[in-house]
Amino acid sequence: MAHSGDPHDGLEAVFLANRETLLRFLVARGAGDNAEDILQDVWLRISRGKAGPIAAPLAYLYRAANAAMIDRYRSARQAELRDAAWSEGHGGATIGVSDSPSAERVVAGRQLAARVEEALAPLPERAVAVFRRSRIDGVTQRVIAGEFGVSISTVESDLRLVYRALAELRERLDEV
Amino acid sequence: MAVDQRTLDEAAMWAVRTSEPDFADWPAFTDWLEASPAHAEAYDRAMIAAEDGARALDSIPANDPEWSEEEEESSPRRWLAPALAACLAILAALWLWPAGDAGMTYSTAPGETREIALEDGSTVLLAGDTEIVIDGNRQARLNSGRALFEIRHDEGEPFRLAVGDAQLVDAGTVFEVAIRDAAVAVGVAEGAVIYNPGGPAARIDPGEVLHFDRGDGGYRIETVPLEQVGEWREGRLTFRDAPLAEVASDLSRVTGIAYRTADRGRDRSISGSVAIDPLRRDPAALGPLLGIEVRQDGDVWVLDGS
Repeated sequence: MAHSGDPHDGLEAVFLANRETLLRFLVARGAGDNAEDILQDVWLRISRGKAGPIAAPLAYLYRAANAAMIDRYRSARQAELRDAAWSEGHGGATIGVSDSPSAERVVAGRQLAARVEEALAPLPERAVAVFRRSRIDGVTQRVIAGEFGVSISTVESDLRLVYRALAELRERLDEV
Repeated sequence: MAVDQRTLDEAAMWAVRTSEPDFADWPAFTDWLEASPAHAEAYDRAMIAAEDGARALDSIPANDPEWSEEEEESSPRRWLAPALAACLAILAALWLWPAGDAGMTYSTAPGETREIALEDGSTVLLAGDTEIVIDGNRQARLNSGRALFEIRHDEGEPFRLAVGDAQLVDAGTVFEVAIRDAAVAVGVAEGAVIYNPGGPAARIDPGEVLHFDRGDGGYRIETVPLEQVGEWREGRLTFRDAPLAEVASDLSRVTGIAYRTADRGRDRSISGSVAIDPLRRDPAALGPLLGIEVRQDGDVWVLDGS
């Protein structure tokens, strides 16, 4: 699809002017020698897409690069876990790679949900409610602050508590 | 590979901050990442943990007692015994879980645009300062702001958009909806949209814009040049006899610049077409275009039509 017009030209200018900055960011994000390739991929995907006018083009590019790194991390972990599960040779190993949402997978999801609930149980109820609004409903911190009648910095520290508890749970599960 | 407490705290903080749509301090985030090679992984872990945690929570309604009771019966030790395989299977299952966007809320900050691609090939483009809830492929609710819909038509299952109590149903369509307090405008570029199919329905054809009041549901239909429907996507906004206050709020939404009206002249009617990008460089450029005075007051740009 060929696209022309101002939005892309403007974005491209910002991209070219900040290439080095974005590369530095990707290297810091752990991209290593792949930083160039990843940045190229990110730009190709953006320039092929349909872009509306973008208010903060540099932040937009950073965000896209960051999302690409999170995707890479996620797929690397999935592959690692799958390999480990297979080589363990346990009966349950195929559960995660089954194509259909089997009953076992539903049960596994429920068990993890219970672990998550358990990990969040000691936290203030408001913090978990704020997290639900933020991550499940996708509401911004500003709006959540209004809804709960607290300041934005309170919302942020609530979210930090929950993120931290979940990261710790993830670490415990990864280390088993 | 235990991560120290401080790194965990900081990773959680950056994960929270970068998840906000208007996060801008990427250079400071870069500095933190560069401070230690362990930071990037701690951050990735926090991001994935938050995402998976949200998905897990989403599968259990808030305050549902069922799961906690069930879990208490099995001791942690027993759960940990079959350890690796079970854990890995659980995690893998969770990670492979389809994302599923039923009832997802999407929002944008002023000046931001965001495109949401639905699975059936339809797209919804959000202008700035907009919130929409999308439920599956064929239902959505626009809570505030402005959005352009390009909907793949399906006779058997038409796309339905709720705005307050009003219902809009597409008939093969590119259409735009803009909410301004109680006033809602629905402009159609292609196909047609049926307004309130259940009640006294109105059909909006290409080149028409239907204005309705969210309070009483009363409406009127005007004509609009086709290219002006969703034209903000192309970086332009056109006003025809619009009150100055509406010009200010529409421009704030798409540019992210805080435009306000002076106390006097709020209702002055404005006509003109404005390119958005130049305003980002020079917010005062609006003055000569619309024949009004624009002055800066701190972060705010005041439009004076008197």
